[in-house]
Amino acid sequence: MSLLVCKSVSKRFGGIRALNGVSTSIEEHEILGLVGPNGSGKSTLINVLSGLYTADDGEAQFGDLDLLRLAPEKIAAAGVARTFQIPRPFDTMTVRENVSVSYMFGHRRHSLEAARDAASEWLAFTGLEAAADSPVDQLTLHQLKFLELARALATDPTLLLLDEVLAGLNPTEIEQSIEMIRKIHERGITLVIVEHLLRVVTSLSDRIVVLDQGSVIAAGDPTEVMADPAVVAAYLGGRAPDARGA
Amino acid sequence: MTTRNKTLIGFAIAAVVLGLVPNVVDVLNAPGFYLTFMFTMFFWISQASSWNILTGYSGYFSFGQGAWFGIGVYTTGILAAKNGWPFLVALPVAGLVGGAAGLLLGLVVFRLRRLSGEIFALTTLAVSFVLASVARLTSLIDGGRGIFMTGTPLPEFLGDFRTSMYRMTLVIALLTVLTAYLIFESRLGWGLFSIRDDEQVARGLGVPTFRYKMIALGTNAFFGALMGGVWALQIGFITVEDVFNIRVPLLVILMAVLGGMRHWMGPVVGAAIIYTLTDRLNSAGLADLNQVIIGALLIVLVLGVREGIYLRIRARWVASAVIFFGAMAVLTVFDVTSSLIWDFSYALLITMVMLLIPTPLWERLTPRRIAEPPGDPPPELPVPSGKAST
Repeated sequence: MSLLVCKSVSKRFGGIRALNGVSTSIEEHEILGLVGPNGSGKSTLINVLSGLYTADDGEAQFGDLDLLRLAPEKIAAAGVARTFQIPRPFDTMTVRENVSVSYMFGHRRHSLEAARDAASEWLAFTGLEAAADSPVDQLTLHQLKFLELARALATDPTLLLLDEVLAGLNPTEIEQSIEMIRKIHERGITLVIVEHLLRVVTSLSDRIVVLDQGSVIAAGDPTEVMADPAVVAAYLGGRAPDARGA
Repeated sequence: MTTRNKTLIGFAIAAVVLGLVPNVVDVLNAPGFYLTFMFTMFFWISQASSWNILTGYSGYFSFGQGAWFGIGVYTTGILAAKNGWPFLVALPVAGLVGGAAGLLLGLVVFRLRRLSGEIFALTTLAVSFVLASVARLTSLIDGGRGIFMTGTPLPEFLGDFRTSMYRMTLVIALLTVLTAYLIFESRLGWGLFSIRDDEQVARGLGVPTFRYKMIALGTNAFFGALMGGVWALQIGFITVEDVFNIRVPLLVILMAVLGGMRHWMGPVVGAAIIYTLTDRLNSAGLADLNQVIIGALLIVLVLGVREGIYLRIRARWVASAVIFFGAMAVLTVFDVTSSLIWDFSYALLITMVMLLIPTPLWERLTPRRIAEPPGDPPPELPVPSGKAST
């Protein structure tokens, strides 16, 4: 069953078509890999779906809601959460307070008292309990990325959009992050991951959607998609007009 | 007992003790200027605390305090002095008119145009200029003739003029600070803090940012106008120039910044310090130097105590208490100065010198923590970043 169905989602920045009629769907409980060369519109799609940008056209059906017509706080309340590629913690708060705030609001409303306990739970899940009462400026990039995850998870999402969780991490940290993503998936959360490391995406994802210049050029099984001549051409910077779909 | 209950009991004790001050002054036959000194301080505490609910909590920097104050002054002026309403009926109306004006501004700046940063600050400043012109040009409001408040009758149960002012300002100041505290310890408060830190992220996590900013601005305007409504009596003769000037917004900003915008107690402490110092400088006949001295002091304090005086006091609470009360005791017992207010201001100054010692040096001077506060001290809050949004 489809959890989210995007129909011809478009977003322009001045003369640049960042998203040029993207149509795709996200199935319940899957891990969907969103890949494509730089500037292909992956992050724009995440930003449009999370309400950070307003789409120019199209729709994104999530249950009976159209995410493109909702304010960001309503999208969060509907059960869609995201992380940022460059972590954006609340920098006057401690790690625990960051997660508490997100639990208090998020998908359902909770009291201040309940948030303290719930925050501990998510900090334990992401392995941040030792840093729980530190100010966020004492965290490493790796920890900040996990804080992004903890904060997104604390909103209790059904759909989680991960924007380059692995960027800037060393190999050990990448291994830990992959394990974390699997653990999150095991909790029944549907994931969309935007990632540059193709090896990682292909091994993690159930399905892959490839974007190039704001359009979907291929979608389906990871290994098949990555062997598609259009995808290869897009990544190598060449053109393969005859193989280009949609 | 929870911290919350302790704080609420603290409020109750403060209310009772401060509420009895007029009676004590009466019994001791102490000079009336004590009451004037204290109710002027209450005025500033309330103004600074209400400003901080918007600016300190949500990060939206407001120069609009003068507008809310002015709306309050003119509302009671028009209703009580010009139209003969009972003062205590006109007063809540002043607060409500201010609150409504705040919400109206919020609707424009938060919804129609998403203003932030310096544009928001300038818009709030413009509001008080616009209001000043409207008041000056409308004979229904002022029309350039001013309003006499001096004949306004006050209910007898409040006591004489000074005592009435004292009681009314005390109640409003307590309500303002209590509101600031309750918001600080609530979802609303945390929602506002998240807006201050990163509004986009806050929205993405489900914080209803528009509604929260409206509540913060409305509350700020309500209390600003409510206290302004009382202050009309103290001004006596209301003129546009006296009411809609830059003094109130500037002093309120200084007080909150100095005391610390990150904590509900910050503006209270900042208002007490700055008001005491300006009052003493005026009374020492240094009114001309006042601005210079306060300005210099502010530079030193803001650079030296970036987290705000209140959090510094809390981090060095033993030393602060010993020095402040010690100085007070010595000054009073040996009768060094002519009044308790002078004792208070000297004790305050001496304590601030200690507070100015930079943290690294302070830690070297006190190698082992002499004493921890009883129970678990709350973790020191991080320095505010002061950015409104990204």
